[in-house]
Amino acid sequence: MSETSDSAILIAQIKDKLGIGDDKVYAVMGEFAEPEDLVEAGRRIRAMGYTKIDAMSPFPVHGIDEAIGVPYSKIGWIAVCGALAGITTAQVLIYYVGKIDYPLIIGGKPLFDFTYSIPPTFELAVLFTAITTFLCTWGLSGLPRLYHPSMNYRSAHRASDDRFLLIVEADDPKFDAQKTAQDMRSVGANDVEVVEG
Amino acid sequence: MSNSSHGSHQGAAAEPASYQLESARWSKGRNALVLAALISIVACIAGYIQDPDRFFRSYLIAFCYTCAIGLAAFFFVMVQFLSGSAWSVTMRRIMENIMITLPVGAILFLPLAFGLNHIYSWTNTTLINSSEVLRAKSGYLTDKFFIARTYGYFLLWSVWIFAIYRQSVKADSQRSIWQMRIASRWSAPGLFLVVAIGTLAAYDWLMTVEPSWYSTIFGLYYLADGAVGFFAVMILICLGFRKAGVLEKQINIEHYHDLGKWLFAMTCFYTYMGFSQFLLIWYANLPDETQFYRHRMPGAWLYISLSLPFIRFFIPFFTLISRPAKRNLTILGVMSVWSLVVVYLDFYWVVMPVFYPNGPQLHWLDLATLGATLSVTGLVFWSRFRKHAMVPTGDLRLEQSLHFENA
Repeated sequence: MSETSDSAILIAQIKDKLGIGDDKVYAVMGEFAEPEDLVEAGRRIRAMGYTKIDAMSPFPVHGIDEAIGVPYSKIGWIAVCGALAGITTAQVLIYYVGKIDYPLIIGGKPLFDFTYSIPPTFELAVLFTAITTFLCTWGLSGLPRLYHPSMNYRSAHRASDDRFLLIVEADDPKFDAQKTAQDMRSVGANDVEVVEG
Repeated sequence: MSNSSHGSHQGAAAEPASYQLESARWSKGRNALVLAALISIVACIAGYIQDPDRFFRSYLIAFCYTCAIGLAAFFFVMVQFLSGSAWSVTMRRIMENIMITLPVGAILFLPLAFGLNHIYSWTNTTLINSSEVLRAKSGYLTDKFFIARTYGYFLLWSVWIFAIYRQSVKADSQRSIWQMRIASRWSAPGLFLVVAIGTLAAYDWLMTVEPSWYSTIFGLYYLADGAVGFFAVMILICLGFRKAGVLEKQINIEHYHDLGKWLFAMTCFYTYMGFSQFLLIWYANLPDETQFYRHRMPGAWLYISLSLPFIRFFIPFFTLISRPAKRNLTILGVMSVWSLVVVYLDFYWVVMPVFYPNGPQLHWLDLATLGATLSVTGLVFWSRFRKHAMVPTGDLRLEQSLHFENA
């Protein structure tokens, strides 16, 4: 008896932490049949003053980032940092081990030289960049997550098939469930729904 | 500069689909090229009479430089047929026209065939017999075999080039998928032909200038140089057409962005080849191999050797790495000119230290020979625009290429 109430409390706590719950509104969502319509509608919704806009599509739609105001990804700069970390680690490691900690002449070569330190440096730069980029992509995308409120939308599964979804999230300062739903219909969205978390 | 993709959609649709270069424009280009060819050929003949040694040395560099660009064009045209790439379709005819200049190399080689003894020390039999290493190569390094090999290379390449070119222009009128299929069937063995035969060509033309030296990666080093030069030439040709108002909507900022990516990638590939060659020779430390770098250390050659990583890698790498830089036509144009100059410098650095061990000696014949080979191949390139459309109008991916955008 007490077990069920414990787990119910736990689920409630988790839901609260993730910002979801039966009573919470996540967003207004609508769907389009054509990618061009999605881009056009996104542009118009943005022109109405909404800022928390998102889109879902089965394949990359050109121009959608610009239309709904998604900023240019920071992942490039993160990759540069990963590469620099890799280069530094490799150079310091090779220098310290070969020249300071355990100097040993091998094949008549200098204790440290850029010529032979470049290949491991390159490899380490690639490795560090790959790991950093991978982890940061997950982090920036909010992964891993087992649940996303947009899945409550009736046609959510069609975003991986034949529909293009437009979303205006509830934390948008201009958001008002009734008004936003009306706006979404006015830009041509079908099956507009107020989706709850 | 910011030719938006939306403008290009409407423009492409409104324009007549002939894509033929106006004959007034074509004649103007031809006249300029004929003039350049005449001046440089006369200069070459004068230079030959004055100083035959120097003429052949400079001419070898100009010949290898021109062929490297043609070879890279040949390679990348076939890559496009095999991969079915859509982004490059609007530019493919220009690439094909560069490709078809490669068979001209057989004519450009003629002067060299008569001047082998001015360049290659292995033509001297007493020198060959004096060294154990060279004696072992004496069966391979003979005048007749050398010339026969070179003509064999050009013959093989030409068969493939004409076969592929023929299918491509046939598609203009046929508008069927079969030409693409046949061209891609030629392309698969063709790629092998470029790399395998190109490696042999690089060994023959450039590596045997120092007959006792060898490096197995040298063929790829040569081809990588050609690839850098090819994409630089492509960007400059497209920019030239753009300035004249030709194909400015068909080759828009998205296409330049991709050409820029290729220039960037090939710069890295060249560096990879150049460094791999250096690292292995440095590490093995065998006199037969290290002599190459030893000969490039005296005098001002040392400064060129030390500056190569910077001018060939660091400067183009950091200039072109960002997306806005590749989408800026001014930066792209400047880096293309830069790449063409440093590729030439690289060939110069490979050949000239053998003849001028104490330091580089510049000569006006360097410029004259380069002008001659480039203007003659340029004429062949240009003559194609008279006969065929500037864009492969029959390619099924043309529409896709016109509307292409970088994600």
